[in-house]
Amino acid sequence: MEEHNIFSLIADNLSQFYEYTGFANATFGHILMILIGLAFVYLAIKKEWEPMLLVPIGFGIIIGNIPLFPGLSVGVYEEGSVLNILYQGVQQGYYPPLIFLGIGAMTDFSALISNPKLMLIGAAAQFGIFGAYGIALALGFTPAEAGAIGIIGGADGPTAIFLSSRLAPDLVGAIAVSAYSYMALVPVIQPPIMRLLTTKKERLIKMKSPRAVSKKEKIMFPIIGFLLTAFIVPSGLPLLGMLFFGNLLKESGVTRRLAETARGPLIDTVTILIGLTVGCSTQADKFLQWTSIKIFILGFLSFVIATAAGVLFVKFFNLFLKKGNKINPLIGNAGVSAVPDSARISNNIGLEYDKTNYLLMHAMGPNVAGVIGSAVAAGILLGFLS
Amino acid sequence: MKIHKIIILIGCLTASLGLHAQNISDMRLNEFLVINTDDFEDDYGHKNGWIELFNTSYGTVDVGGCFLTNDPGNLTKYMIPKGDVLTKVKPRQHTLFWADNLPDRGTFHINFRLEDSDEILFVSSDGRTIVDRIKIDHSIASPNVSYGRTNDGIGSTDGSGEGWEIMKKTSPSTNNVILDGESNSMKLKKLDPYGIIMAITAMSVVFVALIILYLLFKWIGNLSIKKHQKRSDDVAKQNDKAEHKFEETSAEAYAAIALALHLYREETELHDVENTILTIEKSKKAYSPWSSKIYMLRETPQLRKRN
Repeated sequence: MEEHNIFSLIADNLSQFYEYTGFANATFGHILMILIGLAFVYLAIKKEWEPMLLVPIGFGIIIGNIPLFPGLSVGVYEEGSVLNILYQGVQQGYYPPLIFLGIGAMTDFSALISNPKLMLIGAAAQFGIFGAYGIALALGFTPAEAGAIGIIGGADGPTAIFLSSRLAPDLVGAIAVSAYSYMALVPVIQPPIMRLLTTKKERLIKMKSPRAVSKKEKIMFPIIGFLLTAFIVPSGLPLLGMLFFGNLLKESGVTRRLAETARGPLIDTVTILIGLTVGCSTQADKFLQWTSIKIFILGFLSFVIATAAGVLFVKFFNLFLKKGNKINPLIGNAGVSAVPDSARISNNIGLEYDKTNYLLMHAMGPNVAGVIGSAVAAGILLGFLS
Repeated sequence: MKIHKIIILIGCLTASLGLHAQNISDMRLNEFLVINTDDFEDDYGHKNGWIELFNTSYGTVDVGGCFLTNDPGNLTKYMIPKGDVLTKVKPRQHTLFWADNLPDRGTFHINFRLEDSDEILFVSSDGRTIVDRIKIDHSIASPNVSYGRTNDGIGSTDGSGEGWEIMKKTSPSTNNVILDGESNSMKLKKLDPYGIIMAITAMSVVFVALIILYLLFKWIGNLSIKKHQKRSDDVAKQNDKAEHKFEETSAEAYAAIALALHLYREETELHDVENTILTIEKSKKAYSPWSSKIYMLRETPQLRKRN
């Protein structure tokens, strides 16, 4: 009798333990999300598509979708769990400004300073954000949600996370995954649009070499740039402040150690945390919804609109420029941030048509202007919609 | 150098003079009720006059250690006890004090009654700085009718009563003015259902910001180019002068220079190729204690042999 009781007790314990395992709690949604996570990891490792982001996000998706018995304080949405504490950086918006600090410390604005009219391309490409905003409204999203979705068109992951955490916290996971996915797909999305909207003659335009920029100009840029943009859009302060501060650390020449930390260990640490926790936040029950699919479609549209707006704006701008000063419209796509991938696309497409036409340096101008433009746009949306 | 430091120190001290701990200066007397016969009642079930404070800031303010008084000659009449978690007033929130002259009943029961007072003063924790004050006009004080700021936290702080009015209904611990519940976002949806106005406005702002930046840096760039051009011209002029002098140099001078150089080489055994080596081997750097890991690690304890 005693022996039977021990066995039944062990069996009960094992049965109870089974209830806690992932096998007992798994749903179709969990398995699907784990497969998506594995696909991200595969694309990052095999195809090298934005590996720095897709590996943490992909593995985060896998972590976040391990079927859990609720109430163990383990899941990302369970208060007090380690993942939940790390996720606060996304929810409260701590991580994106820190990433902007690193971006500022690694960005060379020389191309933009030497040819400042390229800034306007960075402004034009932000049209993708507001185009997607209008479509999202038409699809029934609230203005705050539409603004958070539209920012995907800025092609700037940290900005998208920052804005969505403020305007539509429930959509952060879908928006962040969508933004980073399309940033990884820039080499696939942009070239057909660029070819479609330009003529062969335009693609062959050779631009003047950028002039050398003095150290004084490089130091003045972050200070003047910050004061101006922050006074116009104070709501963009966390992003703009950190971006320009990081750049000042780089250009001042007297804070080399701080700049190296900002563009090295700091940004790496925050990238790991932001990627992993954003991935974790895509739990099947919250992520696998029609809303997420709509967000992915809208994100794609905003990328397409932004790219087209950048290219078309250059063509329009060329109407007012003298013959020797024309801009190659192939750098218009670089107005969406996605630094430096979109600039690299401009260069590659340019070389396809003329082996001697290197557009990389020219494309870096609108590319970094796009970072400023998307931060300004995020500030405007935050000001209007929060 | 020392003078600079002193100036910075004085600047910092001057700037800090206007600061109050935890922004006590953001607190306002917001509403009060003198005669309470049929209004809000305290935790003891008693009806008494009350004073409402409002935190106008966007940060939490602890009013513990500050003072409430009805006597300008005695600014420290009632000290709000320190260490009570409830004295921390959250951003844009209210806290209520019962003017029942029964301070033994807890933090929020003060030691005077409003029926016997002509003025209410809220004083900072230094016991000297009057943060806010308001006169009590007994001629208009009716039972269960409160006097408060028309818009929460807005109006005078000098006791003149500007921005204050008799309230239509009492609102202890809540806003005096009921805010429109509709968010900016929802208002915008009604006004601009397709986002066209938003797109035009926002794109205009983005363009304006970057156009100004463009114009500024175009101007700065032009200045820089001009400066560079001027410097180049100066160098060119100097070179011209040097060339001019060079032309005037006589053959004897050339001979003297050549001889001097020859003698210099002979004496010092100078050679045309320096002793530099181009290599792909890792170069050895001079040792520096700053880069030494030995100084950053704990030393391994040495085993001492006993004799």
